[in-house]
Amino acid sequence: MQTLKHFINVVSSPKIMFTAIIAVFFIIFPPSEGLWKVNKWLKIDRLWTKRGGILIFSSLLIFFLFGVSDHNFQKIVGKPDNVPIVGLLFLTVFFLWFSLKQARQNDLRIAQGLKPHEADDAKEKVLVWPDLVYIEFICLIFCAALLIAWSIFLKAPIEEPANPTVSPNPSKAPWYFLGLQEMLVYFDPWIAGVLFPTVIIVGMMCIPYLDDNKNGNGYFSFYERKTAISIFLFFWLVLWVFLIVTGTFLRGPNWNFFGPFEYWDPHKLEALTNVNLSELVYMIFLKRSLPHNIFLRELWGFLSLFCYFGLLPLILAKTALKGVYQKLGNLRYSIFIILLLMSVGLPLKMFLRWTFNIKYIVAIPEFFFNI
Amino acid sequence: MPEPQERHYNINKLNLLFAVASITLLGCLVWMFQNDFDREWKGYQARFRDLEIEKTRVAYDLETHRVEAQADYQTLESDLKTAQINFQAQCSKFDDVKKEISAKETEHQILDQRYRVTKAELDAAKFDYEDAIGKGKSDVSKVQKHYELLQGQIGELKKFLDANQEILTAKQGIVDDCASQLKALERKEHEFSRQSDVLLRKLKKIDPNEMDFTNQIGGLVRDLPVIDFANPKYKIEQVVLKDITEDVNYMQVPRVDRCTTCHLGIANPEYKDASQPFTTHPNLELFLAKDSAHPLEEFGCTVCHGGRGRGTDFVSAVHTPSSEEQKKEWEAKYHWHEIHHWEQPMLAKPFVQAGCFKCHSDASTIKGAEKLNLGLKLIEKSGCYACHLIDKYKDWPKPGPDLTHLAAKTTKQWAYHWIEDPKSFRHNTWMPSFFNQSNTSDEHSKIRGEQEIHAIVQYLFSQSEPFALDKIPQVGNPPNPLGNPEKGKEIVSSVGCFACHQIEPQPSDTKRDRQSLLREQGPNLIGLGSKTSVEWVYQWLKDPNRYHPETKMPNLRLSDQEAADAAAFLVQDNNLSFNKNPVPPVDEKIVDEITKGFLSKIMTQSQVSAKLAQMPLEEKLSFSGQKLIAQYGCYSCHNIKGFENYKPIGTELTEEGSKAADRLDFGFIDIEHSKQEWFAQKLKDPRIFDHSKIKAPDEKLRMPNFQFKDEEIEAIVTAILGFVKDKPASTILPQQTPEHRYVMEGEAIIRQFNCQGCHIIEGEGGAIRPEVAKWLQDYQGRSETEANAMVASFSPPNLAGEGKKVQAQWLFGFLHQPTTIRPWLKTRMPTYHFNANHLNALVKYFSALDKEEFPFADQVEPQASGEEYEEGKKLFSQDYFSCGSCHIIGEKMPSGTPEKWAPDFALAFKRLKPEWIKQWIKNPQALSPGTKMPTFFDPESFDAAGPEDVLNGDENLQIKALRDYILTLSNNQSAPKPAPAPASAAPQPPATSQ
Repeated sequence: MQTLKHFINVVSSPKIMFTAIIAVFFIIFPPSEGLWKVNKWLKIDRLWTKRGGILIFSSLLIFFLFGVSDHNFQKIVGKPDNVPIVGLLFLTVFFLWFSLKQARQNDLRIAQGLKPHEADDAKEKVLVWPDLVYIEFICLIFCAALLIAWSIFLKAPIEEPANPTVSPNPSKAPWYFLGLQEMLVYFDPWIAGVLFPTVIIVGMMCIPYLDDNKNGNGYFSFYERKTAISIFLFFWLVLWVFLIVTGTFLRGPNWNFFGPFEYWDPHKLEALTNVNLSELVYMIFLKRSLPHNIFLRELWGFLSLFCYFGLLPLILAKTALKGVYQKLGNLRYSIFIILLLMSVGLPLKMFLRWTFNIKYIVAIPEFFFNI
Repeated sequence: MPEPQERHYNINKLNLLFAVASITLLGCLVWMFQNDFDREWKGYQARFRDLEIEKTRVAYDLETHRVEAQADYQTLESDLKTAQINFQAQCSKFDDVKKEISAKETEHQILDQRYRVTKAELDAAKFDYEDAIGKGKSDVSKVQKHYELLQGQIGELKKFLDANQEILTAKQGIVDDCASQLKALERKEHEFSRQSDVLLRKLKKIDPNEMDFTNQIGGLVRDLPVIDFANPKYKIEQVVLKDITEDVNYMQVPRVDRCTTCHLGIANPEYKDASQPFTTHPNLELFLAKDSAHPLEEFGCTVCHGGRGRGTDFVSAVHTPSSEEQKKEWEAKYHWHEIHHWEQPMLAKPFVQAGCFKCHSDASTIKGAEKLNLGLKLIEKSGCYACHLIDKYKDWPKPGPDLTHLAAKTTKQWAYHWIEDPKSFRHNTWMPSFFNQSNTSDEHSKIRGEQEIHAIVQYLFSQSEPFALDKIPQVGNPPNPLGNPEKGKEIVSSVGCFACHQIEPQPSDTKRDRQSLLREQGPNLIGLGSKTSVEWVYQWLKDPNRYHPETKMPNLRLSDQEAADAAAFLVQDNNLSFNKNPVPPVDEKIVDEITKGFLSKIMTQSQVSAKLAQMPLEEKLSFSGQKLIAQYGCYSCHNIKGFENYKPIGTELTEEGSKAADRLDFGFIDIEHSKQEWFAQKLKDPRIFDHSKIKAPDEKLRMPNFQFKDEEIEAIVTAILGFVKDKPASTILPQQTPEHRYVMEGEAIIRQFNCQGCHIIEGEGGAIRPEVAKWLQDYQGRSETEANAMVASFSPPNLAGEGKKVQAQWLFGFLHQPTTIRPWLKTRMPTYHFNANHLNALVKYFSALDKEEFPFADQVEPQASGEEYEEGKKLFSQDYFSCGSCHIIGEKMPSGTPEKWAPDFALAFKRLKPEWIKQWIKNPQALSPGTKMPTFFDPESFDAAGPEDVLNGDENLQIKALRDYILTLSNNQSAPKPAPAPASAAPQPPATSQ
């Protein structure tokens, strides 16, 4: 049992967990035809059936039941603040499974040349009263009852009086911001706290203009929108929900990482051995001191950024994303590719951190400019 | 209604679902109400009410029985019955009169009403009339007529009313006379049953069985949900304290203590035997009662006890268990768990006295807080404040001896062994152990420790300044130094050494308390022969301040012979095994390692090697010694040359009690994460939190081990928990008058110089008395009973009432340069090195303590002639009071044995306050209970006490005459002059109050 717990502790470290998730993510949610075939061949799409659902839920449940027997796990999961996140976990999984189950059925029908399920619905006329309002009302009553029961079971988590000189350890943002807070580990506060949130909002506003695929409109389908859904799910599940869950359950005192069965020891130390790209190039590869000239020093950083944001889109337009480029045209392709590269920048930076201990690509603390 | 087939869902199913949802919601709502309504404290209040009913009923029954059992009451009862019968028989004839009265009364009421109406009309008419005159209206005469008419009516009515009243009173009088006997008896009965009536009224209020029907219904209804907002039986009791606030960081909010919601009997002495939470506070005289120093309404509970006053259930009030068993019990019984978000949890019972300190931090002893007092005393004695800054002890001197002239006192070998393990030389020394502790007990640390001690010793001796010891005078032929150990022993046991010192070769099992600690002011005088030379002891006894200018050791003004004898006796005791212990040789390799460690902090490796190569061994040792002294903080307690401006090394403790437990490093020690556990563990083994940590030698914890016993640790932890940040408002603090300040300052000095080692001051002290009794047995040949009976006469005096007794000017001079007052005492008032501040503070202290005016005192100029003088002389003579048979008069000693002697009259004029002498003669037992001064004027029959043939038998005049005569005795004699006071040391008038 201890070995199992230890194994889970080790595996759930962001490094391993994140890598593993990325490795399987695009097979579970294939964005391209080739991966779709792999997915089919591995029969992963069977997950989106009733049996698959039972499998997913029972494994999730078994994990939690197993976990609750552990004191540390119980303490962190049972904290009144964190209970909603447990709910979020189950709800997210449920709705994911539910929608994909419908999508799968429609995909099968479409493959057989039939119309999707929803086509039948369109013929049926449903009255607002009682069919909609009544069930909404019933739901409302159930929700009210649930909230009352919840408030009786879990008392408001009031802490000590706020003290400007003593910050709680760990200091955590509200749960919905924990994804952003997790980004702070990898990026300069300006980028993680200001630029990225802005880009996320702007990017979401752009979606209707970038994605003009009319398929899947009004009905569930994965196959017909696989790239869009796969990208969306990657950002939603991996870069948002996963980071929130990590931030809630696995980040402890001093923002150190703790496995789900680990005691939150405030004295735990983690080595901070990160270096900037300039230091990596000059001091570790070239074995010489950093140049005094800021531009010269950060040349490599700027170069790599130029390659990433300047050259890479061009190359992609000619190669892998040739079809996309042709479909979108110059302007829309530029916006799409910049947004995509910025978002991919986050996991990329995480990997750079884990593999090369890269702190910043460009680090000019003289001007508070760090990327 | 839409057609059924048009519906998407089955409506019946939805209806069912709706019903289920509604019932669920209703259920939840009811549950919510119930959950909100059902509070833990209501159960306690219900239980308390039962208890209250039971107690009141028992009290009522007892009281009724008591009253009924009284013979007086029984006669009264029968009298009352007779009176009632008489009343029935005799007063029935007045029934007609009663009827008349009733009719008259009605008439009277009607008249009265008419009178009042007319009066109102008259007032209005008066205003109209005045208005008309003032404004010169045309209808003045009409208005005037109306006014006068009404005036007439009022006069008539008044007449009728008065007449009616007279008739009524007269008739009523007839009836009342008849009933007067009965009324008087009824009043008498009421006197008897007053107490039981009160109890019965109370019972009627609280006991459903005694209530009338409407009250019963009310009692049921008033506690129902929602209705209970009005005036429920069960409600939260609270005390709101505006002056005692809670710090919520951005603001101070009034403290609200709801503890009495459950602790209902806390301020009621009747619940002494009730179980918790109803039991009475154990000390109502000091706390909670209205006339106590800390009334509940003004102080609440949490200001002393801690905890969350607003909490109304067991857990949220943040109770703290006092033991592991209690914790388990609470967990099972109340689902207790620690609420670590509350920063001031309740003080656990063993540490409850910590709460006193926040208000009484300026007091030296806090009456009633014995454990806290012991803790503070231990902190003073162990010198915790030297390394750890504590505001209370800001200006206190260093606790350890001066090491500036160490080489003149002892040897390197002794110093080595002493530092290595001080307790092996003197089992109860305050010097703590630095070496061979739990984090330095591995083989390498042990070896390194040996060399560290060598280095420290080397530094101390190399920095020791030369000090010329006085030669002991030589006598005889061939000349031998003075000194007879036998005589020395007697001197040591008689002059007062044992007020501060002991000679206890073996540790004893008795617990240390504040009284026994008085005799640990100075070191236990054992093994001195191994430690130092006879010359040094001689020199030290003759003039301690020469060797150590700041020492608390006073000068006993020993003659050369006495000092030499005492020195000879003291050095007789040798600790041979201690000195025989071999000192490990200096190991240059380890010394190099130590030196290198310190050098590396200021130099590069190559510089270190170069430097090390050219340093001779002595220098290495001395260099490392200096660094080690800085590291261990030896200079905090001892004066060491080269460390004059160093700051103390420990954490400041002034607000340690407010520190959050998570700011303490528990390391890998598995104890409860609370402050008290941490402090206790730290005191038990100061180095324990290094356990399993990997640290360089100079990073290791360095607090030395005082080897405190468990109960001492508990006392010290109590004190530390009391050192808190929050200071209550000045309105509830002890009044900060100048007198209060004088008392506090004086107490601190008395504490520092251990005055209570000899004297009883404020009812405490006199630690030397058992030793005086022993001296009486050993050297005066008294039996134990005799010695115990006489011990008060041969001990330094009890200083109760000293401020009333002696003149401030005299006291100032005496404290500066004491003179002999009681020649029969062998213990001497030593000469202290008091500075002007000390002297002033002490003089003010005694005045303030007795609420005497300072520095002014009335002076009396007695006449040495005249009738009064002669009469006084007569009273003084052997024919009357024979004062001279006990009291010394200048050079003339009294005739009796020394234990009967009394102070010198020659000093009286300069020393005593004239008013005090009068009171003393009048009733000595009142001023000093148990004094051997005879009572000449029996206070029981004062007017007949004095001799009738002197001054017409007027006792007050006699006392005055005697007093004046005594004062002339000093004028005749040349009283010993007090030595000149130190410069700028004249008593100063008290500071004007602010």
